Amino acid sequence: MIFENMGFYFREALLSFRRSTLMSMATILSITTILIIVGVFLLISINSSLFLKNIESQLEIIVYLEDNISQAEINNLKSNIASIDGIKEVKFVSKEEAYQRLLKDLGEQKDILSAIEKNPLPASLEIQVKDPKMIEQIANRIAEFKKVEEVEYGREIAEKLLNFTYVFRRAGMLVLALLVFASILIISNIIKITVYARRNEIEIMSLSGATSWFIKWPFIIEGFLQGFISSLFSIIILYYFYIFAVDKVHQAIPFLPLVVDNMDLLPIGIAIVLLGSLVGILGSMFSVGKYLNV
Amino acid sequence: MIRMFHVYKNYPNKIQALRDINIHIKKGEFVFLVGPTGAGKSTFLKLIYRGIVPTKGQVIVDGINIARLKSGYIPYLRRNIGIVFQDFKLLYNRTVYENVSFGLKAIGATNFEIRQQVNKVLNLVGLEHKRKIKPHLLSGGEQQKLCIARAIANEPLILLTDEPTGNLDPYTSWEIMKLLFHINIRGTTIIMASHDKLMIDKAKKRVVRLERGRIIEDTQRGTY
Repeated sequence: MIFENMGFYFREALLSFRRSTLMSMATILSITTILIIVGVFLLISINSSLFLKNIESQLEIIVYLEDNISQAEINNLKSNIASIDGIKEVKFVSKEEAYQRLLKDLGEQKDILSAIEKNPLPASLEIQVKDPKMIEQIANRIAEFKKVEEVEYGREIAEKLLNFTYVFRRAGMLVLALLVFASILIISNIIKITVYARRNEIEIMSLSGATSWFIKWPFIIEGFLQGFISSLFSIIILYYFYIFAVDKVHQAIPFLPLVVDNMDLLPIGIAIVLLGSLVGILGSMFSVGKYLNV
Repeated sequence: MIRMFHVYKNYPNKIQALRDINIHIKKGEFVFLVGPTGAGKSTFLKLIYRGIVPTKGQVIVDGINIARLKSGYIPYLRRNIGIVFQDFKLLYNRTVYENVSFGLKAIGATNFEIRQQVNKVLNLVGLEHKRKIKPHLLSGGEQQKLCIARAIANEPLILLTDEPTGNLDPYTSWEIMKLLFHINIRGTTIIMASHDKLMIDKAKKRVVRLERGRIIEDTQRGTY
């Protein structure tokens, strides 16, 4: 029954687009605007999430080694540390390498080092952890190993940073939830207006003996099309706007990490299409239901 | 065709719209429903097409107890009932033809059936030459005829009309009445709520008088 009439439902939905072109365009424009706002926020939030991850990943433990350590002891220590849970990477930095880095960091001022005869820098292990929250615990364990002179991980900075990223993420999630909730309300209200404009048709169909699903289908399809088309428009606009914005930001702050991979942007596109289409479908379904009880 | 037993209808604002209504309307009857505004005429009609359910009592339409009718079956009850509204309820962005075909599509008629039926009823009410125009270009009488055409398009057993001659001049009113008599003769049971004393006296049909929710008079070949 449903599929027999699908052609009719689609024709009715498209006819209604044509009969009230202005209304449909206004509807699509309004939904597009809302979806763009949601999309901009989503883009900001994935970029700040990347930014936070980037900062967090720069948290590392530096283990300074005693000068008299042998190569075998280094290897032993390395594998011991690597076997601790939550270690991502252990990198050995020799005395010579540390010296070269310092030279590079000093740049034109490297002449100051010429005053020192012997390389004063200790060899070290640079350790990256999987979960920044574990950093203190892991650092304490490493400090107990032999031949370790000192363990450093910028404890206060790490704690402050982790606190900040935690609060920032939570706040972002809350704002996102509110924004999605508001957009659902606004879109379904816009749809409600288009249904309200046609309440006479609903009443007449209902009194002629049309089943409620027969009445609902054209509206559901229309709501879906309005939501879907709006989401496509907003994705296209967002995409070009984003490419432009990324370009400008990179010109101003070249080293800022930004999400540029299309595969990483895809979930946002999917979220916008789902939001537009689903709210279009459900909004029209509930609005028609309201006028059905004649 | 229609039976009511001790029917009461109270609205949420505690107004008693109908009180202890008992009536039997036979198949093919023509019944005028008269009485002052607020007497319960519209409520009476709404009960028949199950726009509302009775607070108390039984309403049987074509053998179906409407109070017990599941909401999924309401559409099938309504396919046997045509309704002509006082305020027309036409779709002004569709043509005369589409206004009639709309209701037929809604009940799943085939394109062939639709074409046949729409032509037939437009002929009957005399609007076949105006099929392509929009209703706002029709006169009041023609709009009322279009409503009647739409209501009878699927050949219902019952036709309910709520003051169909309310806003028309006597000549046009009588034309509408003749049309309704014609439909009645073909077997459709008609219930017509009306204030039109002239028409009612002339028609000499059954008159049911409502006052403050009660039937106070029910006469065959009655007058206003």
